Amino acid sequence: MTGQTAARVADGTVGSQAAGPSFEFGRPLSPTLLYRRCDPAELPFALCSELEEAPDLIGQERAVEAIRFAMRMRPKGYNVYALGPTGSGRHALVENLLRQQAAGEPTPPDWCYVNNFVDPQKPYCLQLPPGRGAGLAAAMKRLVEELRGALPAAFERDEYRSRREVIDQQFKQRNEAAFGALQKRAQAKGIALLRTPMGLALAPVRDGKVLEPDAFEALPAGERESVQHEIEATQSELEAIMRQVPQWEREHRDAVRDLSRETTGFAIVHLMEEVRAAYADLPDLAKYLDAVEADVKENADDFLAPPAPAADTAGSTPVPAPISTAIEESRFRRYWVNLLVDNGGQRGAPVIYEDNPTHQTLVGRVEHLARFGALVTDFNLLTPGALHRANGGYLILDAPKLLTGNFGWPSLKRALSSGQIRIETLDQLMSVASTVSLAPEPIPLDVKIVLVGPPTLYYLLSANDEEFAELFKIEADFEDRIERTPETTLLYARLICTIGRREKLRPLDRDGVARVIEQASRLAADSGKLSTSMRTFVDLLQEADQIATDSGKDVVGETEVQAAIDAQFRRGDRIYRRLQEEIGRKTIHIETDGAQIGQVNGLSVISLGDLAFGTPTRITAQVRLGRGEVVDIEREVALGGPLHSKGVLILGGFLGGRFGKSRPLSLNASLVFEQSYGGVDGDSASGAELFALLSALAEAPIKQFFAVTGSVDQRGQIQAIGGVNEKIEGFFDSCRITGFTGHQGVIIPASNVKHLMLRHDVVAAVAEGRFAIYPIDTVDQGLELLTGIPAGKLDGDGNYPAGTLNYRIAARLDAFAAKAAELARATSPLGSRP
Amino acid sequence: VTASIERVVVTLDAASENRAAIDTAARLAARAKAPLHGIFVEDEDLLRLASLPFARQITLGAGAEPFTAEQVELHLQAAAERARQDLSAAATRHAVDCSFEIVRGASEIVLSGVTERDLVVAGALTRPIAGDFRVECRWWSSIEVATGPFLLTRGGWDEVGSVVMLLHDRGPASARLLEALAQVVQARGGALTVICPPAIGGAKDFETWIADQLPAFSVQAKIEVAPAEPAALRRRLGELACRLFAVDAGRSEGHSGRLREYHESFACDILFVR
Repeated sequence: MTGQTAARVADGTVGSQAAGPSFEFGRPLSPTLLYRRCDPAELPFALCSELEEAPDLIGQERAVEAIRFAMRMRPKGYNVYALGPTGSGRHALVENLLRQQAAGEPTPPDWCYVNNFVDPQKPYCLQLPPGRGAGLAAAMKRLVEELRGALPAAFERDEYRSRREVIDQQFKQRNEAAFGALQKRAQAKGIALLRTPMGLALAPVRDGKVLEPDAFEALPAGERESVQHEIEATQSELEAIMRQVPQWEREHRDAVRDLSRETTGFAIVHLMEEVRAAYADLPDLAKYLDAVEADVKENADDFLAPPAPAADTAGSTPVPAPISTAIEESRFRRYWVNLLVDNGGQRGAPVIYEDNPTHQTLVGRVEHLARFGALVTDFNLLTPGALHRANGGYLILDAPKLLTGNFGWPSLKRALSSGQIRIETLDQLMSVASTVSLAPEPIPLDVKIVLVGPPTLYYLLSANDEEFAELFKIEADFEDRIERTPETTLLYARLICTIGRREKLRPLDRDGVARVIEQASRLAADSGKLSTSMRTFVDLLQEADQIATDSGKDVVGETEVQAAIDAQFRRGDRIYRRLQEEIGRKTIHIETDGAQIGQVNGLSVISLGDLAFGTPTRITAQVRLGRGEVVDIEREVALGGPLHSKGVLILGGFLGGRFGKSRPLSLNASLVFEQSYGGVDGDSASGAELFALLSALAEAPIKQFFAVTGSVDQRGQIQAIGGVNEKIEGFFDSCRITGFTGHQGVIIPASNVKHLMLRHDVVAAVAEGRFAIYPIDTVDQGLELLTGIPAGKLDGDGNYPAGTLNYRIAARLDAFAAKAAELARATSPLGSRP
Repeated sequence: VTASIERVVVTLDAASENRAAIDTAARLAARAKAPLHGIFVEDEDLLRLASLPFARQITLGAGAEPFTAEQVELHLQAAAERARQDLSAAATRHAVDCSFEIVRGASEIVLSGVTERDLVVAGALTRPIAGDFRVECRWWSSIEVATGPFLLTRGGWDEVGSVVMLLHDRGPASARLLEALAQVVQARGGALTVICPPAIGGAKDFETWIADQLPAFSVQAKIEVAPAEPAALRRRLGELACRLFAVDAGRSEGHSGRLREYHESFACDILFVR
């Protein structure tokens, strides 16, 4: 049989991806094709520490070019989405590129928030040259302190006190003159002025006492009228005076205020001039300082009030120190400067990474202080967000965190669209706020955003978020693997060396480096590629370093690297070992010897966390008379995924195409993954299912020492699948448990040969003839291997040669068709007719 | 310290600023270890006025409005309750026993239950209206009828300035005045200046006599021999920044008109004994 197979595939010899030995369809693969070694002899160093450092990333030229282009593009919207798999080193590359660029760019300005003296709810922002903001903040605090000394002194001076006394005396005299004169006139008429609960009243007096009602009534009518008339006339006068009092008080207040303004003005003029002179080059600041001066003049009393009483002041209610401090602060906070962004220590443009991108961490927040049981805020409690800190530079954000962060994404889009950073509370943002809060003046935004995230998110955003395409015009697509060539191998060695230096690890010898490079191919699932998952390799190198430490070695070699790889697998293989154990104990029924009709060992991959492993599954098929249906039992019970269902439907297509052109397919077939209790998806078992089905039809036993993987198309071509290494190793481990017979092996798609990077023990078993891997690219090649019977080719008459598998299948189908016709006639109401 | 003061009586009413008087009285009571007694006087003049057909109250906000007996009663009740609470709080603050009563009538009625062993304290200022205008305090009339020491207080306890006493003779009234003043000075602190005419102050044993009057007090008295005529006295009171002026009400300087003048000019408290 083997010779026949070999003869048929002799014209189908295929060269391997790595220009190694070729292989033939249906023939065991050479061990050299099962694992592409990295020959340490080809590595030109003894220890990797001899190598110079590698570039940031290798094989990412496309992404680097995209990022550099974005950095040059100043128009709005040229922000970047760096897409690639997690652990591929995107963060480090992006940050390094941005830092290189930012170092040569101008340092952005400082930003401050200051009080809006007209409307304190709407603080103003001030832009100052980098490093000047801190000086302004300090100058304003110093100014307040100096005013607290200068103003009381000015108001204590004799000049002020004299003028104030004059004003007060004028007011007092006017009051007293008016009321006193009235009182005298009233007294002269026998009327007393009495203090009532709310004001004054006039009462007739006789002998120093207010006239009693009876005495009043006893007066002659004329006298009563006279008294009443006098009282009413005096009341009118009193009312007239009382009406004037508010005006007098207003005039008094105005006079005091004018005096206060004048006194304050003289006292602060030189202090204000000092501040003005220091910032004379900043015209925008002059307006603010004018407002400060005007406010100080209007509110000089704040500077004159004594400090809040200390806790130990005798005779007064103790005031806790924090409260007295808060009271003190509250009087002068409006003159402070909230230095929101201080670029004084910054050299070049900033590069900021915000690892928790929410609304508040991006656009800043309005904080509050608890004061006497209430939450209060002012412009001093505005805190910057990452956009403020990165303004004038670059901001790196993780896309998944941004999208799941509390309103981070809408806030970022809003800021980028408007070109402004507007500090708002979430309540304001959602328009649910009913309390008054701050509405600070927005700050102009000039920032380049780099989102780092997985490709799926990029494609989802592109498809579903209209603003995304407008705001993130640059796609920086990171490779998850690179070609494995002598050049890249050496670069990879340098990269391993660079990681080792950065992580302060022991140097690797060339054998160790070679083993890491081989593992990179295994992780890439391709002997011709190398994985770019830096995180995985950092983990591997650190763990190998620890093993070397535990062993007392100064250098990490192949042994340590292999031990680390084995340990990584071992840490997560509990389920895998349990499955293998149950196969050995026949709890899971997997046959690795003998032959069975309609039964084949399929292979599947199970992913649990970081670990993926393969395991065999017994696939069985049953055929019977029917209407041409192939029933996928997994799908019927909703355990089959769409791809698996598609694969099964393709089987029907294959049967119809090969055998249904000249006969009705009067069969029903059912396929099942035996002892499968979870979902099944993917089409990698469709080839195995077809083999089981055809075996059942041909009634030809399948050799159970084979396992099969590969998908099939409607024309019977076997196609590549994923996880080929894990699948082979899964069956290999099963055979080891059940016992090697020397015949066992795995049939794989020929197009998967280039992906083989099998475990050393598997390769060794193949080399020793205990195990084999067979590549096929058609169903017939697989059938012949599995049954040992020639498949047979269609002749010119449309028939298959007798004794071949296809002949037997066609004959079985013919029999089904005849039986179906017979049954149809028997059940027809017309009965059978001669 | 002394047994000479049996009670400190504070007189209160609805027109006066009572709190300063209550505070002063409570402090003095604490110092003298004497009980504190408050007497709230319901002003009969207001009640009479409210019963007259043309009674009106003129306020800053509403102008002239009816003024009824019911309003007055309610107002007086509220004011009395407020005074009682203030008195109780001050007594608690200074750890003295206190009692309180409400009487209705003229000012003199207050003094009917007061003995010469009681120290009476009253507020000298009525509540202001229209800025700084105050009607006259009712307690000035007590000068004529008070039998014991009477303190008309105007400022707070901690007001700075000197304590000045005008002494004309070595009679019993002067001795009582000196003793009452010593009580106050010892409680408040500060310097005591005794001004007396040359005929009295020039006597060799005058200082000894003063010391004899104050055996229980650690008050140092500075004696000034000075003319007692009004102009010279007024000048000297000004120079001394007088905050408390004590005088025998039986003398010409103790006439209520003269005392009112000092009180207004120097914004000082007045202590008198008849």
